[in-house]
Amino acid sequence: MAKLTRRDLLVGAGASLAVGSKALAGVPVAGKQVPSFYRSKLGDFELTVVSDGARPIPLPPRFVLNVPNEEVLKAAEAAYMPKGTVFAPFNPMVVNTGSKLVLIDTGYGPIAPTVGLLPQSLAAAGIDPKSIDIVLISHLHGDHINGIKKPDGSLAFPNAEIKVPAEDWAFWMSDENMAKAPEGFFKASFGFNRKVFGDIKTRVTVYQWGSEVAPGITAVETAGHTPGHTSFVIASGASKLFFQADVTNVPDLFLRNPEWQVMFDSEPEKAVATRKRVYDMVSAEKMFVSGYHFPFPGLGWVEKVGTGYRLIPAAWNPVL
Amino acid sequence: MAEFSAELSRRSLLTGAATAAAATALAPAVPGQAAAPPAGKQAAGIYRYKVGDIECTSVNDGARSFPMPDTFVRNVPKAEALTAAEAAHMPKGMVTVPFNPQLINTGGKLILIDCGLGAGMLEPSKGAVGRMMGNLAAAGVQPKDIDVVLMSHLHPDHTNGIRAADNSMAFPNAEIMVPAKDWEFWMSEDNRAKAQSNQMMKDYFANVQKIYAGIEDKVTKYDWDKELAPGVTSIGTPGHTPGHTSFVIASGSAKVLVQSDVTNIPELFLRNPDWHVAYDVDPQQAQETRHKFYNMAAAEKALVVGFHFTFPSQGYVEKDGAKYRLVPIAWNPVL
Repeated sequence: MAKLTRRDLLVGAGASLAVGSKALAGVPVAGKQVPSFYRSKLGDFELTVVSDGARPIPLPPRFVLNVPNEEVLKAAEAAYMPKGTVFAPFNPMVVNTGSKLVLIDTGYGPIAPTVGLLPQSLAAAGIDPKSIDIVLISHLHGDHINGIKKPDGSLAFPNAEIKVPAEDWAFWMSDENMAKAPEGFFKASFGFNRKVFGDIKTRVTVYQWGSEVAPGITAVETAGHTPGHTSFVIASGASKLFFQADVTNVPDLFLRNPEWQVMFDSEPEKAVATRKRVYDMVSAEKMFVSGYHFPFPGLGWVEKVGTGYRLIPAAWNPVL
Repeated sequence: MAEFSAELSRRSLLTGAATAAAATALAPAVPGQAAAPPAGKQAAGIYRYKVGDIECTSVNDGARSFPMPDTFVRNVPKAEALTAAEAAHMPKGMVTVPFNPQLINTGGKLILIDCGLGAGMLEPSKGAVGRMMGNLAAAGVQPKDIDVVLMSHLHPDHTNGIRAADNSMAFPNAEIMVPAKDWEFWMSEDNRAKAQSNQMMKDYFANVQKIYAGIEDKVTKYDWDKELAPGVTSIGTPGHTPGHTSFVIASGSAKVLVQSDVTNIPELFLRNPDWHVAYDVDPQQAQETRHKFYNMAAAEKALVVGFHFTFPSQGYVEKDGAKYRLVPIAWNPVL
């Protein structure tokens, strides 16, 4: 006979008979999270997801352009995000190809207490910033580029070649475009680009879609989120990973509802079309996918469910 | 720019890789240009979470992938079970079972709920399991600091870790607490004699009696619905074993349910709560317990910790018709 009753769970420890109230100091609590990095093998390559942190975004009046916040919050709550917020993680990735150490995207920098953690995640993973050969940027938003510089303005990865998508470089570095940009997120994004790249333009290499931007890493056009938004196919031997960058923002909202247009999209309708094209493909091919804003470590597969999609997170592998 | 813009097509993804691989092969790394060496090992399997004032740590003991036995699910054809495993992207023909003990720091007491397959399994399994002691060390916890080892039930993957590789006590200062009903069941010579025709049950009896040999008088038997340590209450969830126990951990208004083995791996048995895993002592009772527990957890929107959920082994249960689905927690990089 199961003795389990609803009351048990409701009352639970409510029946607090201070058992074991020995005046023991006990072992002190750790009081902090473990470093958030995770490794995965991809053919001969070694991948390390290095978290830059996560933050609950309090919803601005229009977080999703074509859906009322009420509905957005319902989806957020169904995913057990902190009440009234959308929980957004940031997952840069290091690819060790054997010949090059490549960092894809660099995090937000310390703009809030729970983000800008990339330097400590790298340190915990034993990766020296000086050993990064290539910093590969998917698109020129602050949460992907700010980590290129330390808070003091010096280069965080002093020996790295910095590679950015040509279309985004042209768009975000244009003063004419900046003058036209609406206040708020878009204006701020132009500002981030000037702050990060203003005095290091000569160190930046622009790359084109379809080219091999690092050994085994091919840039793939997935525009819409920004004009030059790029995903990467990382391939070694028979293994392959589709680094989707921001084809969706958080999957609980935008993979489940691919028509939803997040306020950060430069060309929202194009982003929707790109999203469907990418996910129809990766679901049909059962491709291994990584998402910058997926819950850490952000690796998994996409399955088609009706008119939307669902993320199947990869099981944590305790052994590399 | 059109000439540069790679049309994203299925073809480009499929060929892209081949082209890239070929390019890599054409430009082999010369010694002077090698990247920093690969780390070659995984991050520690530890993850912290707070329940009110209580600090908990999920401490991974590893995971085992093995060819799915014919009767892994007793009451459905193997092909159907394999389809479910494949849908969860388990290795083809295989099933992957992770193991996740929980460390509970109440402030006064350091409690380990279940303790994995034992450090003695680390070498024979080539590091796949028996990882808990290494992960505890990575979490900064010394074995002598553990005050209580609390067993959910007496199966080897939960209980064998009380012994070190040399068979000494792995947690020398810990009180070992076991569910009274499981103790009674597994230590009974009568029951053992009756189980001799069933190899699995025979092995289970032999294992319990071996692991606890010589320490019988050091073991505390606990009952259900008791607060065993501050904020940790035992809840009867029998079926998987006669004394199978879950725990409510509560502090202030916060609460989590440590479900132990109410289901084995959720990809099969939470999705299909009427499937019977090979390891259940009373499969029908386990099924009833499962429905009761998950109906409750879903209604309460309670955070559930599962010993066999993929690390960090936590999520919420949502109803999906007559089935359930696990909504894994989003990893929080900050405590």
